[in-house]
Amino acid sequence: MKLLEVLETTRREPHCGLCKIDFLGTNVCSAGKKHGFVAYWPEGRMELARAFAEKEVEPTEALRDIVNSCNMCGICDRQCYFVTQRRPTQAQQALQEYLNTLPPQALKPTPEDDIVKGLRAIVGDEYATNDPVIIASYQRSIIKQKSKGKYYIVMPKTTQEIVAIVNLANTHKIPYLPRGNGTFFGVALQTLLAEPATIEQGIIIDMWRMKDLEVDPESITATIGPGVTSFELQKAAHVHKLRANVAEAESCVIANAQNLGIVTTWSNTYGWGTDNFIDAEYIDSTGTIQHLSDKDIPNPYAAEQGLLSLSLIPSVIVTKLTLKLHQILPDEEAIFIPFNNLPDALDFAHELARRNIGVSLAVLSRKYLTEFISPTHEIAEDFNYIAEKYLNLNYIVDVICDSHSKKIVEDLAPVSFGKEMIKSLILGSSKLSSMKDSSLLKMIGEEEDPLKTVFAGPMRKHFEKGLASSPKELVKDMDKDLQDFFEKLYSKPEMTDPIWLHNYRILPCRMERKHMWMYRGGYMPGDKKTILKVVDALEQPAKQYGIEGAFGFLSYLERGKLCHLEYDYYYDHTDPDARHRVNKAIVESWRQQFAIKGVTPLEFICSKGLHRKEHIIYPLLPGLSKEELEHFEELIETLFGGEDTW
Amino acid sequence: MVKFLSQEWAEQAKKKVLTELDKAKDLKNMNATLLNVIQNIPPDNKTIYYYIKFTEGNLDELITGTDESLKQKQADFIVTGDYTTFIQINNGQMSSAMALLKNRVKMTGNKMKALTITKPIDTYNNCVKGVPTEY
Repeated sequence: MKLLEVLETTRREPHCGLCKIDFLGTNVCSAGKKHGFVAYWPEGRMELARAFAEKEVEPTEALRDIVNSCNMCGICDRQCYFVTQRRPTQAQQALQEYLNTLPPQALKPTPEDDIVKGLRAIVGDEYATNDPVIIASYQRSIIKQKSKGKYYIVMPKTTQEIVAIVNLANTHKIPYLPRGNGTFFGVALQTLLAEPATIEQGIIIDMWRMKDLEVDPESITATIGPGVTSFELQKAAHVHKLRANVAEAESCVIANAQNLGIVTTWSNTYGWGTDNFIDAEYIDSTGTIQHLSDKDIPNPYAAEQGLLSLSLIPSVIVTKLTLKLHQILPDEEAIFIPFNNLPDALDFAHELARRNIGVSLAVLSRKYLTEFISPTHEIAEDFNYIAEKYLNLNYIVDVICDSHSKKIVEDLAPVSFGKEMIKSLILGSSKLSSMKDSSLLKMIGEEEDPLKTVFAGPMRKHFEKGLASSPKELVKDMDKDLQDFFEKLYSKPEMTDPIWLHNYRILPCRMERKHMWMYRGGYMPGDKKTILKVVDALEQPAKQYGIEGAFGFLSYLERGKLCHLEYDYYYDHTDPDARHRVNKAIVESWRQQFAIKGVTPLEFICSKGLHRKEHIIYPLLPGLSKEELEHFEELIETLFGGEDTW
Repeated sequence: MVKFLSQEWAEQAKKKVLTELDKAKDLKNMNATLLNVIQNIPPDNKTIYYYIKFTEGNLDELITGTDESLKQKQADFIVTGDYTTFIQINNGQMSSAMALLKNRVKMTGNKMKALTITKPIDTYNNCVKGVPTEY
């Protein structure tokens, strides 16, 4: 296997970081666990294979160590295939072959300088580096590709070590930036947000080693370090029959909290931002440790709104967070209400939000449903086609609630289904895909109300029977050597349990199987009129610039008074022209969103996640005037240059 | 070559702006006062104040110095940051708006008004960077 043979795969590496958590019960990469630096994890090997293939980095002694640390156990292939259908062992094989072609004298040690010596004195020799190969593995997940800046990577274990690192950076007058699992950077760094989201040189503080995690079941809280991922916190909480309000499985909770306030389908009940946080320990730019609860600090929740409030780099490093957990009800059930159009789905979901029905409540798109639950992208595409063409299934109101509320939802819903149907759809997705354009589907599509026919009418049994499938059937189109593993995996109850999947959120990265995506949307009043205007404001630029755009999900806050909406742009981030077009669409979508009263685009929430939503989203901002929008254009040009340079 | 933020630099910068920039076209007839507080200047980490005042696009004042009285100047905007960041802004590596986004500088003042002067201030900075400067 040569580097160029796997280049198509490695260039598409999305840096989701799921390979760092044991989300399938396989354990994780032993080399990554031992060394910590991204270079030793599967995502880093993918990045390095790309960087060497594209001649962006020269080999050093670290390359030998990285390559030799892999025992080809194949855990990464199982994990990565589950999410993105990629095989990181191919990248490892290519790196091995590349290494074999190099004469021994080609691998030179990297000389130490004063800064790396200082960092090593703080954290120990093995956790600080200025090695270009290790640094290259952080490209596209916190360092811009082809950046010429001088970087250092350091992995502290304690708050005191971070204080010392900040002081060292200040002494040498170089910037620094903390990194959780790099998931936000993985998306943002492909766009025009790359420049404001990262540093052009300096110290990357990789928080992976800071995994302190303590659940206090009495106060129903948890206190965590910045290396703890959503999956790890959720797992620890579940031991006590508790739930954390967390983002996607792979995201580090603190980074996500600080950056975005944690956006979930549970927000109508659990809230956003400080609704969930009790206290935070953080280090300011002078290296001083502070806490949100300190009496003498300036108001930590004061925040600005509007165009000039955009700040993608946090002003402090959060080193500890105490957050609320929530009790899991013993009779929680999942219920899904399909709709063929967004306005009807919004009406239904808003009514539930107003009545405080549903612990978790969201409107999901057909795109999310089909992409998330299908084991491969090809199946997802077929499922998406079938759902649109024959089933009229375009949106789903997705509810997790207690048994009493479930009855109310069933009474209110024109048609609904539960976990058994979801299980059938997951295990039968491959079979459903093979039924594309079948007579059964054509017959269903000719019905007056296909949704009712399939999910409530007499054909429901035929449909379920048609789907009746087993894990063995599901995995038959997967790579042969992985089929046994996946057959066992999909036999596990949690893999088809919608509540477990909502809690652990291991599926969203499947969005990245084919293409990169860019998160659009933001916060706004919960009324249907505003939401539809925003959807239009996001959809129109996608169409204008030839980008695939799709509604993602919407969740409410404060009993439907407010909502969060995600709409995604999908594009090929390896294609410069596609990147150019997505940047144009991003800017245009900002312009259009800011013209709507009360709308705060997501980027303008960044770095304000530890704030109170009352300071961020209220008061509802008036839409920008024509003159203000002209100034906005000037601001964009000042920040990013003329649009030809993006 | 003149030393960044020195008296000579300030004089040359002012002269360059007054001769090269058009009050209406380039500086949009802006009315604004801006005080930059530049911290941690080597070798002894002193602070220099860098004050500019525009009236109808005319650069009325460009003053630099360590004199604390400059700190008392009434300014619409106060921008505070490290010397290294202001070097990057002055030599064109980073716009002041980008420095704000990257949390390299802090700004106080009316943000909506700031929005209206973003472009002319950027034009001003681009002009000033043409002064041969040593740091």
